[in-house]
Amino acid sequence: MLEVERLGKRYGDVLALRDLSVRVGEGACLVLLGRNGAGKTTALRCMAGVLAPSAGTVRVDGIDAVADPTAVRALVGLMPELPGLYERMSARGYLDYFGAIYGLEPAMRKRRIEGLLELFELVEAGDRWLGTFSKGMRQKVALIRATLHRPRLVLADEPTSALDPDSARRAWAYLKDLQAEGCALVICTHSMEEAEALGEQIGIMSAGRALAVGDLGELRRVSGLPTRQEVRELPTLQDIYLAVVAKDSGNHREHHELAETRSA
Amino acid sequence: MSWPRLDRRKAALVASRDLRDAVSELRLVLAMVALTVAIPIGSAIGIRGLAYFGGGTAVVNRLSLVGAFFVVFIPASFSLVLALESFVGERERTTLEVLVSTPLREAEIYAGKVAAVLAISLTLCYGGLIVYCLAVFPGLGFFPFDVLIALALSTVCQVAAMVAGAVIISLNARTMRAANVMASFIILPMSVVLQVEAALILLGRTEFLWGFAGFMIVLAAVLLRMGLNGFSREALLAREVGLRSPFKRASSALRGAFGNRPGFFRLMWLRRVPLAIAAAGLPLGAAAGYLAAVTSAVPSSAVKPAVSSLINAAGAGSSTDEVLAIFSHNVLAFLIVPLIAVLTAGLSGFLLTFFPGFLLGYVAALSSWSIALTGVFPNGLVEIPAAIIAGALAIQIGATAIHMEASGGWTARVLAASADYLRALRWLIPALAVAAILEVKLG
Repeated sequence: MLEVERLGKRYGDVLALRDLSVRVGEGACLVLLGRNGAGKTTALRCMAGVLAPSAGTVRVDGIDAVADPTAVRALVGLMPELPGLYERMSARGYLDYFGAIYGLEPAMRKRRIEGLLELFELVEAGDRWLGTFSKGMRQKVALIRATLHRPRLVLADEPTSALDPDSARRAWAYLKDLQAEGCALVICTHSMEEAEALGEQIGIMSAGRALAVGDLGELRRVSGLPTRQEVRELPTLQDIYLAVVAKDSGNHREHHELAETRSA
Repeated sequence: MSWPRLDRRKAALVASRDLRDAVSELRLVLAMVALTVAIPIGSAIGIRGLAYFGGGTAVVNRLSLVGAFFVVFIPASFSLVLALESFVGERERTTLEVLVSTPLREAEIYAGKVAAVLAISLTLCYGGLIVYCLAVFPGLGFFPFDVLIALALSTVCQVAAMVAGAVIISLNARTMRAANVMASFIILPMSVVLQVEAALILLGRTEFLWGFAGFMIVLAAVLLRMGLNGFSREALLAREVGLRSPFKRASSALRGAFGNRPGFFRLMWLRRVPLAIAAAGLPLGAAAGYLAAVTSAVPSSAVKPAVSSLINAAGAGSSTDEVLAIFSHNVLAFLIVPLIAVLTAGLSGFLLTFFPGFLLGYVAALSSWSIALTGVFPNGLVEIPAAIIAGALAIQIGATAIHMEASGGWTARVLAASADYLRALRWLIPALAVAAILEVKLG
């Protein structure tokens, strides 16, 4: 479904992303973890056909994102970190507008919009202006908008960061349903709980590159963390994440120290 | 020049949403409508008052036309506010990011947004104009249909130029605050246009308004094309690189502009098209000057001052003074031309050869070609090629200034074209010195 080979993106002098290679199959889910500025958002934008890569290739359903970005964007549902809703539009009107942009027939748009508003408990608020919505409600509308056209690939940047635990679980269940229908997911998050709940594959990013990509077992091996002997417990994803990032920082430090020693 | 593909149905979707959004704020709509109606009525009261209290017919008629231009200008300026809101405002609120992540092409988003702003602004402009015409002209015994048509045409282009300018601003401004400040670069030239139009009406030369309407059409087309080229996902979502070390970045940009530039002969080959255009300026100017003199389209009283000032600049004092006067006059022209090339889209470069050609042709018509050519021999053998090269490089600066690319880099390209000009001055200035000496010693 999604094939990313040695993806790189440069903004002027700033190298935002380098050498990212991942594959996400039909109905699979990749979770990207990383601190702010690690390149996750840029990676999503390149995968969505919104930004052209400076290096490497992105293919969605076999379509090259550089050769035909419009076709790629039609297959993808991108949910950016900020919902980006029109304040003076009702939720129904807003979703109808984006449904029309994706070419959905009016009857189908109406059916899907009502179904999803009901799922996310927004039926009554559906005719209110989006400017009056709470943060969580806005995020739900953004998630509905990104998935309204039943995309083959959903790219979501912190999709549940503003949701209460109950709504977050509802959103995860909805994403799992999409997965079951064959939709591939790529999700950026800072929530380890979310990553463990959704991610079959997890990528840990730092400074524009992927430090490690794999399932939880593979990441445990990469991290080098032992099983917690005292309580006979496997290291959590949080432990793994911190260990992998710390190991990379250590490598950088060693590299710098070595360079300084050489120059001295 | 090809226009990109766009699905009109999708562009209409974007336009209709933007239209609904603009009219959803009642206070804004009421303010715009009130101004659109109140200003024409206020102007009409002034004009009719003047007519009633015995203002001369010529004064009243001309002022009624000037009033029409002002009445249209104010709603036209709303287009700038609306366009900035539509592009920079949406970008600031991140709604544009969502829109560009859909299958819509850039051209569809651009066309839809421009159409929405044009529809609102033109409705207000023409609404105001109709109110003004109904309030002023009945009973005045004067209805300048042709001028009002020229006004209606130039208004469309004026509004389109403002909208396109706003898009170009939106690509360079990250916030509404910055965009509002940068909008002065559009409002100020437009107010100058308005003043010139008013001056033409007051001088009774309304036939030139058609020329102005034509100029606005070209300007609007160039700006719309620039906006379309520059309006790209890359430009809109490009990471803000910040304002750290501005002097270091500026000096690095300048070094970059001067680095790896082609040598003189390679540059001449690369600029062969602007060279041909600049070279054509001389015979075209000569032909235009000859025709202008023969048909008396341009009176000799208008050309004589230009010729006299050139003769006076060269004719006073010792031969060294004459050489210095001719040399400094030519160097000044060569320095001013590239500076205004950015604002005139390279027209100043063309004029560098066209204008001397015009004078040459004009003088030839009044005397003979042999006398006219004797005046530019032998210094012209050096001066004319130098003017063609300088004109070509200035045309290139202008062409670069009106060319935007999706990947950005406008500043770097303009700097590189300017660097070519500056580097060429190493050869051109000595050539001008030689020409000045030839003109004084052998001319």
